Amino acid sequence: MSTVDVFGIRGASLDPNERVESRWRNRSGSLSVGLGLLGALVVFSFVATIVGGSPAHQDLNAALVGPGTGGHLLGTDPLGRDVLAWIGGGIRTSLEVALGVVALSVATGWTVGVASGLLGGWVDIVLMRIADIQLSIPPLPVFIAVSVVISNNMTSLIILIAVFGWVPYARLCRSRVLTERERGYVSAARLAGRTRTAIAFVHVLPGLTTEISVLASLQAGICLLWEAALSFLGLGLQPPYVSLGFLMSEGREVLYQAWWVAVFPGAALALLVIGFNLTGDGIRDLFKHDTSVGNL
Amino acid sequence: MSETALASPREEIPKLGSSRRAGVLRYLAGRVGQGLLVLFGAVTVSFLIIHMTGNPATVLEGTSLPPAAVHILSIKLGYNRSLLYQYGLYMWHVVQGNFGYSVTSDISATHLVLGALPYTLLLVAISLSCAMVISTVIAISSVLATGALGDRLWRPILAGLQGIPDFWISLILIFILSVKFHLLGSMGFNGPSSLIMPCTALTLPILASFTRLLRGSLLDFMNSDVVLSLRARGMTRREIVLHHGVRNAMTTFVQYVALQTGWLIGGTLIVENIFAWPGIGSLLYTSVETRDLPVVQGVVVIISVAFVALNLLADFVVLWLDPRIGRSVLGGNL
Repeated sequence: MSTVDVFGIRGASLDPNERVESRWRNRSGSLSVGLGLLGALVVFSFVATIVGGSPAHQDLNAALVGPGTGGHLLGTDPLGRDVLAWIGGGIRTSLEVALGVVALSVATGWTVGVASGLLGGWVDIVLMRIADIQLSIPPLPVFIAVSVVISNNMTSLIILIAVFGWVPYARLCRSRVLTERERGYVSAARLAGRTRTAIAFVHVLPGLTTEISVLASLQAGICLLWEAALSFLGLGLQPPYVSLGFLMSEGREVLYQAWWVAVFPGAALALLVIGFNLTGDGIRDLFKHDTSVGNL
Repeated sequence: MSETALASPREEIPKLGSSRRAGVLRYLAGRVGQGLLVLFGAVTVSFLIIHMTGNPATVLEGTSLPPAAVHILSIKLGYNRSLLYQYGLYMWHVVQGNFGYSVTSDISATHLVLGALPYTLLLVAISLSCAMVISTVIAISSVLATGALGDRLWRPILAGLQGIPDFWISLILIFILSVKFHLLGSMGFNGPSSLIMPCTALTLPILASFTRLLRGSLLDFMNSDVVLSLRARGMTRREIVLHHGVRNAMTTFVQYVALQTGWLIGGTLIVENIFAWPGIGSLLYTSVETRDLPVVQGVVVIISVAFVALNLLADFVVLWLDPRIGRSVLGGNL
């Protein structure tokens, strides 16, 4: 309607209300697709377990059966385990790892960031230099190297990945504490007798929820990939854990006879990651905050 | 009259030049300092990795060794000394480029790592260049036609590619190109054609973030007052993007790309493993499997060195691209 060509930027509108409305409509697209995808995958994982039975059930008579035959919708692996059932369990394992890592990283990042921003001085310098170092060491080589000493254990895997995940949160919280503490509402809260710690936790940090959830969903996608990559290399979660990466490593061995063992779990993993990425992008676009801290 | 009028600018110019030089030097010194700090951290991490569970001698030989033999081995390798002493000694050796000898083959670990490094660098360099070129082309064309079909199409495609694991792409490529059509060999390095599959698998996932960042900074630039004045002087949008926009956007882009190499190096490790590529990824994997701790340490440190070096290189490129850097210390009056 009131769309004009402003310096060649087609579609730029002069009516602020119309602009906001169309922005909402366009941008919430990736959020709803992302959340829908994740929800569908969770439902799928339970349906898969019901349809395919227990992921651990082996049947050597039905090894490497093709998709659709013998009641195995997505075929079986070299030990006759149902691929569909394994994917269902694998999705839930991936989500558990992602949740654990994100929770741990957010908690650590908040604490470090607030401490750094509030206390300042040498605490700030030391913590931020540690963060710099942390951010500059490529994680995967370290994960692979550390797997020499950790065993097949989900808790240690979560801690290991979270060690590399807290930095963006810490930077975000620190920078926001630093900028917000100059704002009027903080002075007002000080006048009302609040302590600095209380102001940081009660007034400043709740305002960070959006940015943190953007970082969190992007991080969730990345640590899914890391978990699967480690299991794929035979270094992360191995049976009895049900991991998508493990199934893909099995599929790699039999790629010449049975493509389905590698292809289907990979597709499930890709959809999970895309779901998290779209959700993160959607939240970011919706609120249009700058989350360019760190290289998650 | 002419004396003073001429003298002042003459004094001015070398002063400005040296200030810029001082600013640049300060900028570089900061970057190098940070790089050294990172290397120190990486060396410490590589030291801690093998001491995480106590005596590394038990890790070296697995669980099969009787306690007495473990004791003899730890004395032989110096693991019975105090941790601080070992740390100091390790630091001293690393500074000299010495990681000890590979446990499995009695070759120096440094030699093994440096022999494998060129293959990995080749993969990383080609994938990075492909990703940079492709994302620059997509970003420029989408900025030139904002809102057009092409601009709307790349987003979902690249967002999809970003989520796809590189090792899955590798498997699918092998399945299609090697198993189905027998076009390419899937193992090892046999000439340039071996590069096609690993580089494709590494390039596709990083395209999305590259393109998005470049497009974002191009659009930011296009909304600036500089562009307004250039438009007023009669330059077309295309000319502004190609002559001014790209160079402006490149400064952020180059630094981002350098930081993302960490991610790419991670991908290389897995992709190398799939294609039996003779690089440091395969070396790390085999040395982890055989518990060859000196080589594991060597690979972790060399990866950090490569990463820091690349980021420093990016800083130099940015310095060359953006003449404003270094002047800001003067107080922003230039």
